[in-house]
Amino acid sequence: MGVPYVPIVGLVGTDLLRRRDDMVIAVDPFDGKTRSVVAKALRPDVAVFHAREADRQGNVSCGYEAEAVILAEASKHVIVTAESIVDRLTEKEASGAFIPAIHVDAVAHAPFGAHPGGCAGRYGPDRDHMARYVAAAQDDASFDEYLRACVLGVRDHDEYVERFVPREWRQAARAAGG
Amino acid sequence: MEYTEAELLAVLLSREVRDGEVSACGALSQIPAAGLLLAQELHAPNAELIILNSVFNPFRTSRQFHFLAQRGELGLFFVSGVQIDRHGNYNLHQLGPDPEQPRVRFPGGYGGGLIYYAARRTVVFRTEHTRRSFVERVDFISAAGSTPPDVLRLGHPSKVITPRASFRFEKEPGVLRLDTIHPPHTLEEVRENTGFDLGVSGPVTATTAPTREELRALRRVIGPKMIATGTYAEWARRSLGEEAAG
Repeated sequence: MGVPYVPIVGLVGTDLLRRRDDMVIAVDPFDGKTRSVVAKALRPDVAVFHAREADRQGNVSCGYEAEAVILAEASKHVIVTAESIVDRLTEKEASGAFIPAIHVDAVAHAPFGAHPGGCAGRYGPDRDHMARYVAAAQDDASFDEYLRACVLGVRDHDEYVERFVPREWRQAARAAGG
Repeated sequence: MEYTEAELLAVLLSREVRDGEVSACGALSQIPAAGLLLAQELHAPNAELIILNSVFNPFRTSRQFHFLAQRGELGLFFVSGVQIDRHGNYNLHQLGPDPEQPRVRFPGGYGGGLIYYAARRTVVFRTEHTRRSFVERVDFISAAGSTPPDVLRLGHPSKVITPRASFRFEKEPGVLRLDTIHPPHTLEEVRENTGFDLGVSGPVTATTAPTREELRALRRVIGPKMIATGTYAEWARRSLGEEAAG
């Protein structure tokens, strides 16, 4: 949007507002009395997110999650990982929200890049892996162990997919030409 | 006619939907989704429904839904919270006395923090009615039941519905009051399981039990419809099929 702040409906009286210094309550400058939260604009240096589909120029189809469009517009640099890379993607073919290449610096092909979360329209969250993550997140020692096993101890994304994405999911994706 | 707790809640939520209004529910909302579809089937044929993450959603992107609500066009919204208090505040953020060291962390409060203020009416539903979910003061306010009159706000909570009872929210003085009790539950039992004053003195009206017509439509029309459209299909198969009905 390129504006320094926006008024929003909501959040007054919440503990969330008390913990944020980038949101304050202000008076409507036109009627001089109605109060609402105004939120300071976020201007990230780099945004990295996963999408359903992208092309080599950096056009991106991100489904229902239009927050990604706002994120891409607001950020100085944008890196997108995608389930599949196609030759040419235009707004017409994109399902849901579309991000034109002008906002995008780089795309990388990363099938199952949202795992263990889900990628709408492709696969849901991996419940078993999520349960493992939740158990590991109970304390620092078990979380360190999780990081060693699933993040730090993995050479690259391909190895991660091979070792942690369920075999049936990979076979189904291959059958579908992914 | 016998019914399950999920069926009872779906029926009670459906009765909150008004014909011709836009009514919506968020993610992970199988019971409100069933309630919305049931209302459209029975008494609100012209209700416009928005069931996020389903085919019953006219929008291509989430911001279209958000802006519709901010414009004041959303008549009814269903949300749930982990804790709900007497003042209609609810918590979907975290549990524990120290906000810096939460015991459990939850997804947070988009539906609450923003839509609770924008929808004309919000009905809060909770599948667990105990003293740990209905508390005097929530550990963390994700959404406030009331705000001062000069604050930009388009609507308020209207009811809280649980498997035991319904509360209505009174804007003045901004508190929940026990409205009706679902038979066979009793006032004593509701009092025992609620961590705040119920705001009633005399006898309390009994909720009208789900009717044969409501339950039939829920099981024979809404269940199959949810399965066919992939709207919480797994849940519908388990909870709304003829077998679930017994």
